[in-house]
Amino acid sequence: MSASKDFANIQRMLTECLPGHSIRMTDHFRRKKFGDIIYPSFPKSKTVEVGHIRKLIRHFGIQECAAKHGLA
Amino acid sequence: MPTAEAIDLKNHPILITLQDTISGNGFLARITVAGRTLMRKEDDGKWWMYGVRPAAIAESGSTVDEAFLRFKQAHTYVLLDMVQESKSFDEFRTEVERFFNAKDVDEAAWEGALKAVRDGHAEPPEPFSKLPRQSPDSRPARIEVERLDGKITPFTVRDNATITYSIADKEAA
Repeated sequence: MSASKDFANIQRMLTECLPGHSIRMTDHFRRKKFGDIIYPSFPKSKTVEVGHIRKLIRHFGIQECAAKHGLA
Repeated sequence: MPTAEAIDLKNHPILITLQDTISGNGFLARITVAGRTLMRKEDDGKWWMYGVRPAAIAESGSTVDEAFLRFKQAHTYVLLDMVQESKSFDEFRTEVERFFNAKDVDEAAWEGALKAVRDGHAEPPEPFSKLPRQSPDSRPARIEVERLDGKITPFTVRDNATITYSIADKEAA
């Protein structure tokens, strides 16, 4: 896995792995919500470093699905 | 020179202390965190600090110190985002406590890393071997969200928390 990924790729993965999730831009981050689970600290940048992606995936518990997208 | 066992220890269980004072809509709040994180060197060559308590946060740096400082900054930014959207102190406190108490799979990884250290299966390599050591048994994960405006009891220097990090272990040597 390269050091960072385009947000568009991450969004494609989330659309499949977290159907119905929401994203809201805050002053500092992209705030992601799925059911009662909130991830309030995802970077706003166009490309996102792998550590942020891995943590997001683990927080939502979607490792298996994300792996199909080469993002776990 | 780290041993082969030391190199095998990928996850390092870290204890952190953070403190922020945040101004909100009609209130002033102090947030003090006794938290837990996992530190790991990833394949991008950076040190990554992954939140455990609070969980939903990650940051990196070219050194362990830099990763911690960036994690601390990101934590402050999360609080600033939350206070922006809170109409009252109670609403802010509820959101902050929910953020701190939400768990994920890194909790189990943190416990596993602590067990590895405690069982002596792996000695923490540098720079962790040089960090202060602290027992999580005597320092449980907790958050305190206090309202400071209108506080009747006087402020004292004891209210200040030293912002720092240490390696989770047995009692300090």
